[in-house]
Amino acid sequence: MNDADIERVLRSAGPRDKPPVAVERAVHSRLRAEWRALVAEGHRHRQRRAGFALAAGLLAAAVGVWVAMPRPTGPAGVVATLALATGEVRVRSGWLDGWDSVSSGQALASGQAVRTGSAGRGVLTLPGGVSARMDHDTRILLAGGDQVVLERGALYVDAGPGPTPAAPLDVVTPAGSLRHVGTQYEVRLLESGVRLRVREGRVEWQAKNGAVEHSGTGEQLTISNDGSVERASTSLYGESWDWIAAATPAVDIEGLPLAQFLSWAARELGREVVYATPDIESEAAGIVVHGSISGLTPLQALDAVLATTSVRAEVVEGSLVVGVQDPAFQPSVTSSAAKPAT
Amino acid sequence: MVSRRVDQALADDRQLIRRMLAGDEQAFEAFFNSYFARVYRFALPRLNGDVEATREVVQSALTKAMRKLADFRGESGLFTWICQICRHEVVDYIRARRRTRHVVLIDDQPDLRLAIESVEAPEEYDLVRSYGRAEVARLVRVVLDQLPSNYGDALEWKYMEGDSVEVIGERLGIGTTAAQSLLARARVAFREALEKVFGAEADDVAASLGA
Repeated sequence: MNDADIERVLRSAGPRDKPPVAVERAVHSRLRAEWRALVAEGHRHRQRRAGFALAAGLLAAAVGVWVAMPRPTGPAGVVATLALATGEVRVRSGWLDGWDSVSSGQALASGQAVRTGSAGRGVLTLPGGVSARMDHDTRILLAGGDQVVLERGALYVDAGPGPTPAAPLDVVTPAGSLRHVGTQYEVRLLESGVRLRVREGRVEWQAKNGAVEHSGTGEQLTISNDGSVERASTSLYGESWDWIAAATPAVDIEGLPLAQFLSWAARELGREVVYATPDIESEAAGIVVHGSISGLTPLQALDAVLATTSVRAEVVEGSLVVGVQDPAFQPSVTSSAAKPAT
Repeated sequence: MVSRRVDQALADDRQLIRRMLAGDEQAFEAFFNSYFARVYRFALPRLNGDVEATREVVQSALTKAMRKLADFRGESGLFTWICQICRHEVVDYIRARRRTRHVVLIDDQPDLRLAIESVEAPEEYDLVRSYGRAEVARLVRVVLDQLPSNYGDALEWKYMEGDSVEVIGERLGIGTTAAQSLLARARVAFREALEKVFGAEADDVAASLGA
């Protein structure tokens, strides 16, 4: 068989099938997330093994050597910012490093772990505008800008409104991993497994055994440690969501149309904006908001902003009903929030 | 010569695995680019052409393979090893769903499977005469997938897409001379693989395909 035969055989056999691009992208994305988790896990194991060896050996000598040697892992590059820290929030860079207190604005690197205390909460801003809010007693490991390992507690991910997904973020838990498809969702570690509640959009869940489940708005998945999945409906608001409002990251409302501010507030509260009349909707679109709502919860922000307008808003079940505050009130075309911008 | 190539391939596999497990991003991309499409083509006909099922199975197989990479001992090539995992995934998928027809391919027959995996053929196989043109053509493509991925790609680009050596070098991120050398090795490897799979009938392959 000569080279010409080879060419004839190849041409006659025809080209090999090419996987669809969408399939290739989906598998690549999922596989990459798994690989990142695997690498992060491997680092942790090596660190633990190194720790046991250290304890068993000559401690003083080992410490001396350790001081001189570079860390096995450490911050590799900034991948997130701590947008908000309330109460106790601490960061650790390596396994022998201590937990250092951090405050809002701190840059966070791949490989760092973040934890909140019993009265602490934190909000991380990740690439592409994705935010992740940490409840009390939560600990995460930043495996990268697109991957967070949830080691304890609960995380609320907000990938922004709209059907188009923002930057990807995989949340890896002991029972599997989650990926948003344009969404707001909460994932909480339980003793018996993991609970996922989707407030908006869709989330893809991949169990450790490779099984994939999807969950949409208003759905709750409880995945037990043995891999069984229980599906139920969940409310989009209420007491169990209150911690989300208490950990609302600061938003810049300066120059924003009131209608846009109302949409933001409603989304934060898990509600939909309902205008009492089309006129009020037009009015809200024409009012421009000035000031700052930094440090306020969405409800407090509503009170502060609407106090200077003719518009009122009231939470009624699943709606944020927007009406007229006082028919005699003559609104200006701008509104100032209680806390002036600095 | 073949043995040296196999040793080199295993060494490359091991190095790729080491780099991947150490967190090397380029190694991960190389792993994905080398194996995804080939494993996909391995699974697709076994799942009756069901693209969604193939996506799930390949994703699961590659995930499991990655998790077990540290255990890979190199008794077979990495691709063969991943295909074995994929084969189990296919069976599990079909068993769990009970809705996909189980497709049995001629390359799943034990003797031929051994031949393809080890690139050694039992003499009693007369594939060219036993099977139709379509099956032989498919088997040629399976053989192509058994070669190192850049060999298969380079051969396809050269002979089917008509790429020049310079373009192939660019597509592989190597120089023209290196591409020329790679193409020469790829032709030898493909010829040897065909002869091993089709045995004495290899020369008839072109004729049976109507070439």
